[in-house]
Amino acid sequence: MSRKHDVQQPKAEVAPEVMAIHLKMKRRQKLGRGMIYLAAIVLSLWVLIPIIFITSMALTTPEMVRAYPKSILPFIPFSLDTLRFFLGSYGILDGIINSVIVAAITIVLSTLIAAPAGYALSRYIFRGRDVFRLSILAVRAFPIVVLSIPLAVAFLNLGIYDNVFSLGLMHTALVLPTAILVLSSVFASIPYELEEAAMVLGCSPVQAFRHVVVPLVLPGIAASAIFSFVLSWNEVFAASILTIQNRTLPAQVLATLSYSPDPYKFAGSFFMLIPAVIFIFIIRRYLFNMWGQVTK
Amino acid sequence: MTNQLKPPKRKKINWAPYLLIVPSFVYLLVFFAWPMVQSLILTVREDDVLLRVREDPTQTSPGIGSLERGVSVEILDQQANVISEDDLSEPGLITEVWYEVQVTDETGTMVAGWASEQRFRVRETDEDGKPIMATVRPIIGVDADPLTPIYSEPSTAGEIIAELNAQTPVDILSQRTLEIWFQISGEVDAKLITGWVQSRYIRTFPESTEGRIDRGDTGHLTFKYIRRMFNDRFFWPAFKTTLLLMVIIIPIQFILAIIMALVVQAKIKGSSIFLGIFSIALGVSDLAVGIVWYAIFTHYGYLNSILQGLGLISAPITYLSADTRHWIIIAIVLAEVWRATSLVMVIIVSGMQSISQDVLEAAEVFGATLWQRVTHVILPLLKPSLQVALILRTILALQVFAVVMAIGGGDVVTVLARETYRQYYDLRNFNMAAAFSSFILILSMIISVFYLRAVRTEQEASG
Amino acid sequence: MSEILIENVTKRFGDFVAVDDISLKIQDQEFMVLLGPSGCGKTTLLRTIAGLGMADEGRICIGDRDVTYLPPRDRKISMVFQNYAIFPHMTVFDNIAFGLKMNKFEKPEIEKRVQEAAAMLHIESMLDRYPSAMSGGQRQRVAVARAIAMKSEVLLMDEPLSNLDALLRLEMRAELKRLLAEIDATTIYVTHDQIEALSMGDRIAVIKDGIVQQCDVPDVVYDKPSNLFVGSFIGNPPMNFMDGQVDYSNGSVSVYIGDFRILPENEMHPLLKSYHNKTILLGIRAENMETLKQPADDALEVEVLVVEPLGSQNLLTVKIGEHIIKVATHPTFYIEPGMQVWLRFPVNKIRWLDEKTGAALYP
Repeated sequence: MSRKHDVQQPKAEVAPEVMAIHLKMKRRQKLGRGMIYLAAIVLSLWVLIPIIFITSMALTTPEMVRAYPKSILPFIPFSLDTLRFFLGSYGILDGIINSVIVAAITIVLSTLIAAPAGYALSRYIFRGRDVFRLSILAVRAFPIVVLSIPLAVAFLNLGIYDNVFSLGLMHTALVLPTAILVLSSVFASIPYELEEAAMVLGCSPVQAFRHVVVPLVLPGIAASAIFSFVLSWNEVFAASILTIQNRTLPAQVLATLSYSPDPYKFAGSFFMLIPAVIFIFIIRRYLFNMWGQVTK
Repeated sequence: MTNQLKPPKRKKINWAPYLLIVPSFVYLLVFFAWPMVQSLILTVREDDVLLRVREDPTQTSPGIGSLERGVSVEILDQQANVISEDDLSEPGLITEVWYEVQVTDETGTMVAGWASEQRFRVRETDEDGKPIMATVRPIIGVDADPLTPIYSEPSTAGEIIAELNAQTPVDILSQRTLEIWFQISGEVDAKLITGWVQSRYIRTFPESTEGRIDRGDTGHLTFKYIRRMFNDRFFWPAFKTTLLLMVIIIPIQFILAIIMALVVQAKIKGSSIFLGIFSIALGVSDLAVGIVWYAIFTHYGYLNSILQGLGLISAPITYLSADTRHWIIIAIVLAEVWRATSLVMVIIVSGMQSISQDVLEAAEVFGATLWQRVTHVILPLLKPSLQVALILRTILALQVFAVVMAIGGGDVVTVLARETYRQYYDLRNFNMAAAFSSFILILSMIISVFYLRAVRTEQEASG
Repeated sequence: MSEILIENVTKRFGDFVAVDDISLKIQDQEFMVLLGPSGCGKTTLLRTIAGLGMADEGRICIGDRDVTYLPPRDRKISMVFQNYAIFPHMTVFDNIAFGLKMNKFEKPEIEKRVQEAAAMLHIESMLDRYPSAMSGGQRQRVAVARAIAMKSEVLLMDEPLSNLDALLRLEMRAELKRLLAEIDATTIYVTHDQIEALSMGDRIAVIKDGIVQQCDVPDVVYDKPSNLFVGSFIGNPPMNFMDGQVDYSNGSVSVYIGDFRILPENEMHPLLKSYHNKTILLGIRAENMETLKQPADDALEVEVLVVEPLGSQNLLTVKIGEHIIKVATHPTFYIEPGMQVWLRFPVNKIRWLDEKTGAALYP
């Protein structure tokens, strides 16, 4: 029900000057939109095309890989020969297995160590909290180059050189700062009142944690774990320094760079790219939450 | 994104948080603090340069001086000392085996004692080849004592338990391997010192009492490696190239990242898909990216294929050779921009998301055009994020490695990280590798401090 | 001259119609309040006037300019946002000066205006501070100062007091009212708090579901609500509504609540005639009923259920038939739950509404 008080006669004619402004605004808006779309598409192509190139090289015959000129259209012909050749090459299958093992060690170790620290940072105020937080931020960008050399020498002396476990330790160190920061913000996003409510209803602190916090943080922990996996899977410098016989995939590819044929290289690049790309695409939403909190 | 939880300010049990952070703290200490210190130490410390000369032929004896590696010495005497099992495999050891023997003396009692195997001739061995019975060898020499002493412990410093005649049959109970200690005299600082050293450090010459100190057991500080690094023929090219890449890549990346962030924030249809695509590069390996762009720039690669397909060239151009350094640099720049822009973009987008819509609307109501809104509101509020991104990206740029290796091979175009790798892997010189990595470390620290200072003075200036 | 003309403005979000064909004319320098519950469209309407969202249909004119398609900065308006929208990276001075800077004022003029605005809001001592070092109430003052420094012809305010605590809100309400009387802008003020609306507005437009229910001066809106919604929205406690049976016999109209007979005013008889033998709604405010401790012929007996001593009055909850209504009495009127009181209904205070539509009957 409406009462139209104090109203002019409805729908007066729209003055032409006003219409002109209106149309100009709409045109400018459309142009703006168009430019944004254009930029978005150009940038997307910029990101996707190199990946398409390498995928097409990896999924075709070795002859096509060596051929020139290369065709822009991918997968002509489609073939698994290059991949088969790559997988059959010396050290590759072992390399993949080693990479998986190292990544697995990294995930497990980093989660086990980072989760308590993240919880402590998010729930407690204690002396040294800011110092601890600052030191984590400080080591986040620490050059892996600097860490690798002394640790390699130390591992040599300790006799644990050239095995996947020590590389796993190294990768855990790499991943740990980011994992701690991410997990602390994940825990912080769960109000402490939930744990208090559980404790009022009869849980011990540990039970409250288990029944209330754990289910809620699992997605965040999973995202952090995936991030750790990707980091470890891709890591090449420390892997090259710390392993000789038990190489990971990137270390193996790097070591043979100077004499490996193109099909080998491309297949290797494909193998390194694809799992990581898929994983990152899956957890892309979490990345923004992660980096958002982490840059504070 | 505001954090709606305030951590409970409770006087809880004090030790809980500390317990929880102990593992991380320890890990960070061991894997960051220690290697950092160790890297710096390795750079300036030369080990195995000096050999400590001791008063007595035991490890616990005080040192009376040090001789430098390479000095000639005169070997005056020698003595055997027990060494541990682990040291047995060390190369260069001169060892002697001592037997614990048992014999019935004149009174009919069984006595046991130790003596060098040189004093015995083995008569019987068991299935494993271990000697179990021997006879005492006669002593040759005019003034030599005809009796062979056996000691209470495997050392001539032990008590003499009995003395055996030649040809006495003995049972061998056990054996011990001893290292020979030499009593040497050598010159240091124009002075002659005499003392005992382990044989493992001395290179002996046959038919001679001369020896030479092969290596030492302690080190000293030296700038030798630092000097060598600065004089290394790859150092300056690597340094310059690293800086060049930094200066070109980082501005391009920031501009690109801001554009990407604005596109994502513009909330057009499908912006979440674009976001996903832009973030893909976050997960890529730098080695893989290097190979991808190698595939584009290589002789039979995509760039030439496209150019030829468009009719712009008639034969493939060589981009990645020693003569075309600038093309290699361009390829590396493209690869790095392609790879690492997502990182900057993610940081910027998160920063943008924390700018409340209200503030932008207020700016618009009070007269700001789009450009003015960007410069007066968005960019200032993005500053903290941009700073973080800048520091992170710069430090990471100092470590660029695999991309350079994949595209340039690491020799025509080299960077600091590649040189670290070369020193360690190809040249096996750990100290030099540490020198290069310490250089990277110090550069990173200088840059961080510089950025943080620059930010602080800016804040002070604006009041 | 800055009267604001809103003509058949409609704004949709997908299928949802937030503002449904609203037309309003706001006089030059008038203080118009847009009042309504959450989601009624008042903020959407305000934003459309501001230019933060284009109207789908209709026209908006400020003065003699048609601003319907103009961006916000060309409309020459000032706005105070609900969450203040203060620029966190600028000092108070720069915040207040922002609009002036964007409109290219000279520095001495900017300085003067900022000082004036700050003085009016009593924040002259805080000009060098940053928002993060200020309380919510202080930030709100900065938001208002920023808006009035512009000396725009039109001032829009989106629930500026809703984020303040109760005591501060009371203070600021009075201060704002006095301040806004001093400046000569046409003000549109959005709120869901009917006390604010009643106390501050020259006129109130009550909005529900995107439609203006009533637009009039506070007295009229309060005493003569145009429908059930307005009556229950305005006033604390809300207006009471009861069923009555209309009887038209012997040339006169009576309304019965149970057996109790009420004789409406003469002007109402022609309208009420048509409701013969039907139910009609009576609306009366809690404070408009007389309460008696003894029975009287023209008073209805009711049972007291709850007594709330509120200090300035006693609020009784009483039962009439199946209706539960609130009655306000003088604080010294002593009564206990379970006791009877007798209510008198002054007919000039009764509002008559159609039972089906909820609309008020006007003579």
